[in-house]
Amino acid sequence: MSAPSDSFSDVRLRSEIDRSLRHPVMFFFTSGAAWLAVAILLGIISSAKVHSPGFLDSCPWMTYGRVFPAHETALIYGWGCQAAFGMIIWLMSRLSRQPCRNAGTILMAGHVWNFALSLGVIGILAGGGTGMPWMDMPAFAWIPLLLAYIAITIWSMVQFKVRPEGHTYISQWYLMAALIWFPWFFGSAHLLVHGFSGSPLGAAGVNAWFHSAMLLLFFAPVGIGMAYYLIPKVTGRPVYNYALSLIGFWSLAIIVPWAGMQKLTGTPIPNFLPYLGAFAAILFAIPAAVAGINLLKTAASDTETVNLSPTLRFTVWGLVFLLCLGAASLVLNSPGVMKVTQFTIAGYGYDMLGIYGFFSFIAFGAIYFIVPRITRREWLSRRLIKWHFFVSIYAVMAIVVVTLFGALMQGVAQETTYDSLWYNAASTVFPYAVLTTIAWCFLLISNFFFFCHLTLMWLRLGRRSSHPTLLVHGHPDSPHGPEGDIDNTGTASAH
Amino acid sequence: MSFRLFAIGLTASFGLAWLSVVVVPFFKLHTPTPVRFQEGIDEQEGIYFPKRAGRVVNGAAVYAENGCYQCHTQVIRPTYAGMDLARPDVGGLSPKVNPEGIDSRRESNVFDYSGLDFAMIGSTRIGPDLMNLVPRVEARIREQAKADEEGDLADGEVAGRARDYLYKHLYDPRLFPQLIGWSSCPSMKFLFEKREIKGQPSNDALDVPVKDGWEVVPGDRADALVSYLLSLEHDDPVPATMDYAPPAPAGDSQG
Repeated sequence: MSAPSDSFSDVRLRSEIDRSLRHPVMFFFTSGAAWLAVAILLGIISSAKVHSPGFLDSCPWMTYGRVFPAHETALIYGWGCQAAFGMIIWLMSRLSRQPCRNAGTILMAGHVWNFALSLGVIGILAGGGTGMPWMDMPAFAWIPLLLAYIAITIWSMVQFKVRPEGHTYISQWYLMAALIWFPWFFGSAHLLVHGFSGSPLGAAGVNAWFHSAMLLLFFAPVGIGMAYYLIPKVTGRPVYNYALSLIGFWSLAIIVPWAGMQKLTGTPIPNFLPYLGAFAAILFAIPAAVAGINLLKTAASDTETVNLSPTLRFTVWGLVFLLCLGAASLVLNSPGVMKVTQFTIAGYGYDMLGIYGFFSFIAFGAIYFIVPRITRREWLSRRLIKWHFFVSIYAVMAIVVVTLFGALMQGVAQETTYDSLWYNAASTVFPYAVLTTIAWCFLLISNFFFFCHLTLMWLRLGRRSSHPTLLVHGHPDSPHGPEGDIDNTGTASAH
Repeated sequence: MSFRLFAIGLTASFGLAWLSVVVVPFFKLHTPTPVRFQEGIDEQEGIYFPKRAGRVVNGAAVYAENGCYQCHTQVIRPTYAGMDLARPDVGGLSPKVNPEGIDSRRESNVFDYSGLDFAMIGSTRIGPDLMNLVPRVEARIREQAKADEEGDLADGEVAGRARDYLYKHLYDPRLFPQLIGWSSCPSMKFLFEKREIKGQPSNDALDVPVKDGWEVVPGDRADALVSYLLSLEHDDPVPATMDYAPPAPAGDSQG
């Protein structure tokens, strides 16, 4: 994109963009990581309660039915959304080639988001939850959250609108889609269930659709969009196949909004809703596979860099998890399997695969890429990154495999032991719950490494060096750009 | 592709789905059309009127707040979607466990959720489905009474014992020997009040282990929750036009 003659001004522009967004982006990443720690702690507690119901039994705030939704809320809105905000505002500025002029507003809106969310989570724990999965926060929380969202992201839409003439990057399609869809489904779903009473099954349907939209129409496009930036950027290779990325994007936009109601299969809602939902959820495999394969093919052209760069390692594994998510959608929503796994822990396993496996890994990759650029310091320790990577990957895989396999066992027990008592079906879950608790403990450890590392970077205690922290000793050719320049002057093309 | 076209594409692809699977069904499901029993086919006449009793709305709020829906579902699926109707006491009562000797099992219908703001379908069955909690508990109580050679209990006595059972279960599920070792249902002791007995012991006091001179009585929210749970009885006969999987003849188990 940049001719050699203006590469200096290009570097200046990029470092100006990074500087302008320094505070909000770091705020979103660090508070997101802190929420992640909270979510994991609550996850350990709730998972422990499934096999040891006496654990923290005496405290009403810690009863399973409150801790579990608080865990999910902290994970989705605390970590997931905030990591997404950080990525969206930074990437949109970079790709639209304009410094952000509203960092103060964004930062303030970020505080509003955190404040409303904290009240919401406390509300759930105090016994004010709504009883709707993924919309558990008390009814007062959604309006401030939506307003804060708008104040955070509207500038990115403006930047996209007034960007200089030129190419529109694939990442920008995905980000724009997420930016438009999120307020739409978030606002309308909450308005319908909180604003109009007397349609119990309709509200359950809206809730099921919202749950799916949150994962597949917000986290999925943001994660895929970020990966479409990171992989070509760090490897310095163009995207493997441009036409494929078009197919991947439009198949997501056309198919996935129909998904969601398959969670209500068998309930007395009009029959076409669960069928359409299951069909769309199965077809989610297409956008997932197309984006995943397209990007993994791109990364495969330079496996050495993938190994060296913390960013790429996390991102590539995030894409592997995206492929798994597509495959899981395909299998779990097919009619034969659905009737077995509909009311099992498979739903949780699927959500964790999407949020922690796919989305968070790409978010970690993005954070390892973005933070050195905006703080102008390099990551302190390659060992901390490695520990974060290995512990996370094994723990996430364990959670996903254990919950999906456990769900199968649980579902088979539910469907086949129908002439005996319920405990035959119920007790199959316990060994898997024990394993899940252990895996969450490992995730807590890995996130501890990550959070400490990020906090040190936030305090501007990173290495003052022009050598990026790579996962190997001695690095002759930095994948982040030529040596001696923190802000990479390397290939800036994202297509 | 111009920005305009792109934005129109995004809006159209999303908006079409949003209208057709979210907005229109939501309002369509708002007021289900009443269904009439048909002469000659059904045993009753008139319009099917779903039973509703108890503090359904604020009891359901307590149910939601404490996350009961995390482990319990409230739906009996038709056989194409799952084997719920094959269990003897989940979708109603099979002739084997039903004291009236009939098969009251049926799948859920749209009227089963009327009066609520949100149908707590649930997502995971770590605990059993609660759509027909009351018939199931009552059947167990009758069974137990028979085993204890108390003979046939009056309906009022069974209902009273079911109520006591639910309070005690909420207070601590592990007070029941048959639940120890596998039930991970949390105890909801915080919905109850432990107090010193002053004067007469309360009529509402629970039969649970407690220090001498003390008693455990349910709080307001426990009352509301139990009242709601006692409304979970959805095995009344429905018009044949709504009963998509009519029960098999007595003695023949379904599925």
